[in-house]
Amino acid sequence: MPSVLEPLTIPKRTVKTETGSKDQLAPTYYVICWNDPVNLMVFVTHVFMKLFGWDRQKAQKHMMEVHEKEKSVLVREDAEKAEFYVHQLQNYKLQATMEPAE
Amino acid sequence: MKLIRQIRGGREYRLNQNEADCLRSLLQQFPITADVSATISKTGADPETVEREKLLNESLAGHRKELKKQAMKLLAAEKFKKVENVYWLTLNPEEHEILLQILNDIRVGSWRVLGEPEDLDRKPPLESEKELAFYKMMNLAGHFEAALLHPVSGDIQPGHD
Repeated sequence: MPSVLEPLTIPKRTVKTETGSKDQLAPTYYVICWNDPVNLMVFVTHVFMKLFGWDRQKAQKHMMEVHEKEKSVLVREDAEKAEFYVHQLQNYKLQATMEPAE
Repeated sequence: MKLIRQIRGGREYRLNQNEADCLRSLLQQFPITADVSATISKTGADPETVEREKLLNESLAGHRKELKKQAMKLLAAEKFKKVENVYWLTLNPEEHEILLQILNDIRVGSWRVLGEPEDLDRKPPLESEKELAFYKMMNLAGHFEAALLHPVSGDIQPGHD
């Protein structure tokens, strides 16, 4: 037995870190609203304000995007929330879908 | 139909006899079309799409049944109060949303029956009395939606209308 204490070699502490992005942890989905000629612009704006709690300016921006670019990505959410929003939007008869976010 | 004032917890609208008759007629006829299969994804790239779409359609059918019940409640005599020659309709925020959903269901349903025309400003060639009725319902529903969404003054903040 050595009389002098040998220095202990302390193993390097390995800290587990999340190296993957959020995408790798759980799939996320874009909630998309698609253009149609029947829903009134004022109605679409109202629905966006109501469901997402947006102010009028933000809601109108997305409404105009739907109108001019045929679609607007409204939110990016996990599957459950995205599904919830699609159900709510379709209750108002807006054409909304959820698509896997890449 | 005109928004007269925003009172605590609701909005008060004034309608003339013709407007009241038209709005009640729309509520009585709801739903005017059969359930239509809804799509939850355009790409169908997710393996759970089929199951999700099934759930969506069940949910929408259930919601429509609930809207029908709510339409009957809105038709109750006490909702449309007649004073002399005008009617007064007071809607709380929940009733306001319900009425909007009912009206837009009628509007979108009529539009589908008419073949989903692109140009709604131009009256399409209507081949039957039935098509004419749907065309009128689509426009009436839109008229009432616009009236319901007309702000009293300035913007209406989300969550407070």
